[in-house]
Amino acid sequence: MLPFILRRLGAGIVLLFAITTITYVMLYFSSKNIAHNILGEFATPEQIAAKQAELGLDQPLFARYADWLGGALTGDLGRSWFNSEPVLQALSSRLPVTLSIVVTALLVATLLAAALGIAAAVKRGWIDRAVQFFSLAADALPSFVIAIILVTVLAIGLGLFPATGYVAFGSNPSLWLASITLPVLALIFQLTASSAQQFRSAIIEVRRRDYVRTLRSRGLGEREVLVKHVLRSAAPPALTILSLQFIGLLGGSVIVEQIFALPGIGPLAIASTTKGDIPVVMGIVVYTVIMVIIVNLIVDLVNGWLNPKVRVS
Amino acid sequence: MTYKRRISALAAAAVGALALSACGGGASTAGSDGGSKSLTLGSVVEASAWDPAQAHVGHYIPMYEAAYDTLILRSPDGQLEPMLATDWSWSKDKKLFTLNLRDDVTFSDGATFDGEAVKANFEHFKKDNGPQASTMQNVESVEVVDADTVAYHLSAPDPALPIYLSNAAGFMGSPQALESQAIDSVPVGSGPYVMDESATIAGSQYTFKKREGYWNPELQKFDTVTFKVMPDTTARLNALVSGQIDAALLDPKSEAQASGAGLVLTKQQVDWQGMFLFDRAGDQVKALGDVKVRQAINHAIDRKSILDAVLLGQGTVTSQIFGESTSAFDESLENYYDYDPAKAKELLAEAGYADGFTLKMPSATGFDPVIYSSITQQLGAIGITVKQENLEGNEFRNRVLSGDYPASYYGIFQGEPWIAIGHHVGKDAAFNPQGYTDATSQKLIDRVQQGGKDGDDAAKELNRYVTEQAWFVPFFRVDQMFFNSKDITVQQQIQQAVPSLYNYAPAA
Repeated sequence: MLPFILRRLGAGIVLLFAITTITYVMLYFSSKNIAHNILGEFATPEQIAAKQAELGLDQPLFARYADWLGGALTGDLGRSWFNSEPVLQALSSRLPVTLSIVVTALLVATLLAAALGIAAAVKRGWIDRAVQFFSLAADALPSFVIAIILVTVLAIGLGLFPATGYVAFGSNPSLWLASITLPVLALIFQLTASSAQQFRSAIIEVRRRDYVRTLRSRGLGEREVLVKHVLRSAAPPALTILSLQFIGLLGGSVIVEQIFALPGIGPLAIASTTKGDIPVVMGIVVYTVIMVIIVNLIVDLVNGWLNPKVRVS
Repeated sequence: MTYKRRISALAAAAVGALALSACGGGASTAGSDGGSKSLTLGSVVEASAWDPAQAHVGHYIPMYEAAYDTLILRSPDGQLEPMLATDWSWSKDKKLFTLNLRDDVTFSDGATFDGEAVKANFEHFKKDNGPQASTMQNVESVEVVDADTVAYHLSAPDPALPIYLSNAAGFMGSPQALESQAIDSVPVGSGPYVMDESATIAGSQYTFKKREGYWNPELQKFDTVTFKVMPDTTARLNALVSGQIDAALLDPKSEAQASGAGLVLTKQQVDWQGMFLFDRAGDQVKALGDVKVRQAINHAIDRKSILDAVLLGQGTVTSQIFGESTSAFDESLENYYDYDPAKAKELLAEAGYADGFTLKMPSATGFDPVIYSSITQQLGAIGITVKQENLEGNEFRNRVLSGDYPASYYGIFQGEPWIAIGHHVGKDAAFNPQGYTDATSQKLIDRVQQGGKDGDDAAKELNRYVTEQAWFVPFFRVDQMFFNSKDITVQQQIQQAVPSLYNYAPAA
């Protein structure tokens, strides 16, 4: 197990280096006018030149990248060029907010999707058709449309939830729950829809296998066959899909965070990329790649744990 | 391990991940403090660094006003009143601006406000190269005459200096704190409030508490002031309607819902939008060098229809670039160019362009696409073929300011005449990238620069001149739609996107 983990982490580091390098190079070629962005429309040429020198924008690519990389390797991701906030601090304060809604949405969607997928695969008939219809309908509705409907009805109309804002779990758990409920609901529709289809297809496929028929012929009850055997075999592809969806959710939560004015990574990503705040953009890239690596590693380990056949020795 | 235990362990891990992810995130941003003694504002922008040298104007002003006083206070109607400076005067040659200062003010870190503090702030403002540093470009130095008197030495007259000292360039930070990086995160000023760091999340929410012992308690209408960063208009609307914030800027499309929820609307005109005809010399497009062609373009645009389509009629159609609140404004110029495509064609023919010509213009995602389609269609109707080049965000602005295009649609602030000249009329103005000037306009600009009654008269003459010469094609002045709850009263601030912090008060 340990060599496997170490190999994956090593590959992850190479991936991190490659992605950050490519990103930095791309940002370098779009950084010509960042000094102007910072100083505004009425900046004089002298001001712009001074700001470029201050931020090192007049340095060649290699020098700038080496400077950034040197800092990143020691945990210093620099400061925002627009408000001087340390990048690490900006990300650390915002990541828990994004993870709150993303992890919660993923957990809730997983449970719902599993229940719907199992019901559709086992019962078939009208339940199966209903689940497929729900999947189609939910797929057609973007999360921001759902968000606006939820806010209008449940927050503004009925006053059951706050329309905007976030309460940290540490400040007040029940207010935290209230503040993330609508954003989570907005995210889980499409997530549940596509995951339910995955669960359904995987379970149908596994139930058709010979060994499952053998288990039934030996007198095992349908529930026992389903829970102890079918789900274990059907889990890996579903988990893989969920890991992809977690990564997709990190991007998909951006609009939801804007609508609910949540102080997460989303608004920071939008603002920093729009303005050309390269230190912050690079920080977001680093964090995102690290999360992708960790999530993929966890999914592989869980898959191996659930089903010994897919373990890598 | 049995299967059931594995599932239980998985479930426990999931709950643990959830709880861990929920930890942190700093202070809470949900909910209003409630009560008439707290003010919560929805802000379109997040604060830049809190260093006063990095202060910006417009939407940023009220945030800085929480922690910093300015040398001069500009009242809602534009009058200049004492603040940290008690009075001021110009020398005869308008190159020396002397201010007498209060002697009873301290900063929140205990440092004393005096002439040395003003000098330190000025030098820091210039050196730190913030977004408003160019406003001090005519100021060579600040002399400390004595502890309570400073003199600004100018290289050339600048009639806008008192106004600059009532906003970004006038914010005074503690000289002890100015050189420390800490002031970027936590402001240290002499203002009516101090930042409550425990209730502040950078980029999301800034909370200030009333400062004890502040020298001007009349400006402290609230015990707590909170700025919630909400760049999204839908979020601001929802927060207003649900009572989470007390006031915010919305847009015409939000009006129905906001007014229906019983919110109070005030309108303010701060910007004008229209076409900038940069190539008045005809270097890129020869036709634009002819005043009749530029006038034809003015007559070809149906301003009212575009205003109705794009802003639901929330604005005022105009033919002049100077705002109603300025000394340059001339009521007789408002409809100088009426919508008259026939007249436009006639003018084009007189100029020798009966067959029209091609005009390259950039288009940006920041403006409603209807504007560009209307320009293309309406100029096309008189024979001018518009070739749009779509550019994104900052690239649009940067290429426009580089002089890559002979003309562009844009929106710009309508400040006092000297400020407007510096922005888009004068030969060195940012929005005059081709540096166009002529003897007539320059003579008028020189008179405006001297200020006073003659400066005001010259501003009016300049307005008429650039209108008749069709340097621009103004479409309309835009209504800023500001909404507030009935728990507070608000006065709009002249020539400012949002009200100053001092303009809010609990409702009686």
